[in-house]
Amino acid sequence: MKILNPDNLRIPTEPGATPCLLGNRCWDCSTVVFPKMPVCPSCHHNGHMDEIEIGRTGKLYSHTISHFAPKGFTAPAFQIFVDLPEGPRIFSLVGRGLPVERGMLENGMAMKLVVEPLADTPEHREELTYKYVPAGARA
Amino acid sequence: MRDVAIIGVGAHPSGRFMEKPLKALAYPAIWGALDDAGVKPTDINVAYVGNSLGGLLTGQEGVRGQVVLQHSGITGIPIINVENACASAMTALRGAWLEVASGQADIALAVGVEKMNVGDNARTIGALSGVSELDLSELGMQFTTSYAIHPKINLKARMQEYGWTAADFAKPAVKNSYNGSLNPLAQHRKPLTIEEVVQSRIIVDPLTLLMCSSISDGAAAAVLCSVDMAKRFSSKTKITIASCVLQSGVYRLPGDERPDSATTSSQAAYERAGVGPKDIDAIELHDAMAPSELMLYERLGLCGPGDGPKLIDEHVTTLDGSQPVNPSGGLCSRGHPVGATGLLQICELVWQMRGEAGKRQIEKRPKVTMAQNQGGLLLGQDSAVYGCTILKS
Repeated sequence: MKILNPDNLRIPTEPGATPCLLGNRCWDCSTVVFPKMPVCPSCHHNGHMDEIEIGRTGKLYSHTISHFAPKGFTAPAFQIFVDLPEGPRIFSLVGRGLPVERGMLENGMAMKLVVEPLADTPEHREELTYKYVPAGARA
Repeated sequence: MRDVAIIGVGAHPSGRFMEKPLKALAYPAIWGALDDAGVKPTDINVAYVGNSLGGLLTGQEGVRGQVVLQHSGITGIPIINVENACASAMTALRGAWLEVASGQADIALAVGVEKMNVGDNARTIGALSGVSELDLSELGMQFTTSYAIHPKINLKARMQEYGWTAADFAKPAVKNSYNGSLNPLAQHRKPLTIEEVVQSRIIVDPLTLLMCSSISDGAAAAVLCSVDMAKRFSSKTKITIASCVLQSGVYRLPGDERPDSATTSSQAAYERAGVGPKDIDAIELHDAMAPSELMLYERLGLCGPGDGPKLIDEHVTTLDGSQPVNPSGGLCSRGHPVGATGLLQICELVWQMRGEAGKRQIEKRPKVTMAQNQGGLLLGQDSAVYGCTILKS
């Protein structure tokens, strides 16, 4: 197993610590971005971005069910955008365990980050990435 | 800057042409434009060639423009390759326009060509996903999803906000399928009903198959020259480029209240052309997913928030209306060979302005027209490229 994008995702090894995303926060205007970038998109200052841990939780902004998968993925599958409390609105897939049916997700619901293989396919089975599941779901 | 005229256009039909490589698709479009303009290959001073997916899908990773143009007899001039996703062709047009406007060239050629049918649709969809920023596409995000729920357009949310129904979503597809049925160059020539569109299979909820543009091969070209020289070559209706605007997407955080980029790019095009939305007689716009046409009505200033379906119900944007939209059939019916689309839009507008559009000719020949083209997807909630061109006759 390897992390699909180690620059974006931290999987801590200490007991009790939970995985999180890695974003940037601007020293000058506090804008938070994900994924990271060296220039703040709001105030355009260069090189004033600190790495911060974000995205352990979020709120569902929008969701759909995709019935057609690109190569290496499976369908049907949820595709969602999540608002992180730190600011960014990000695209994500949904973690396993949730039946892929209408009515299972509701915009505004609390979500939490989980780490899983990108897809259960030969192409992506060994690549770990972040996904989100409803906060009330399995630990 | 000099005024620039479009003196010739040509197009290859859109559809599935398995046996044809890029250069064979481009050839009839290029020579269609040369013959239409009355110029020889040796008259062309500079050429811009738009193509998006040819590297991944055909293996011709570099110099596609030079390959395509040599096949058509155009060599020994500056040839610039343009990749700008689904707005590659409009970007090529802008390059050719600037060359002539600036006086660097007297006669310029803009070409858009795309080969998407390669016998493996999953590979084509994968290549298309690659015109989104990799951070998005590597997670399996597709263009259809971006139209359904991406914050830049979020059609699903519009159903809540405006009360739009599946039938409203189908209306642009139905209108454009009728226009496409009259267009011999169109990929899909069957007029559709609301029921057929709504009941076709769901691709990405709430978008159905017949609301989505399909995989397509095709090409288009235009010959541009200074207005002063135009008389020498062509006796046809004089058509000038009143404005040609290109903007990249803007990094937007949640809560960003700035107008979206389709709005700002069209406003810039209106301003530079000295016209407003009410002055436009015909429009070709980027309906990659049919219901996005309803959102673009708002963003181009044709109607207020949520009023898009009314423009179709009240026959404003139909072929018999006061502002016909997508008379060619648009991306869903005429076809969306992505790197050719912007110039296919220009071809249609030129034919309409000259009265050469055959069965789909707008009765009152349009004098001021607009082409709106966009493409790609970036982090930060915007498309990558927005283009808007206004023509006058």
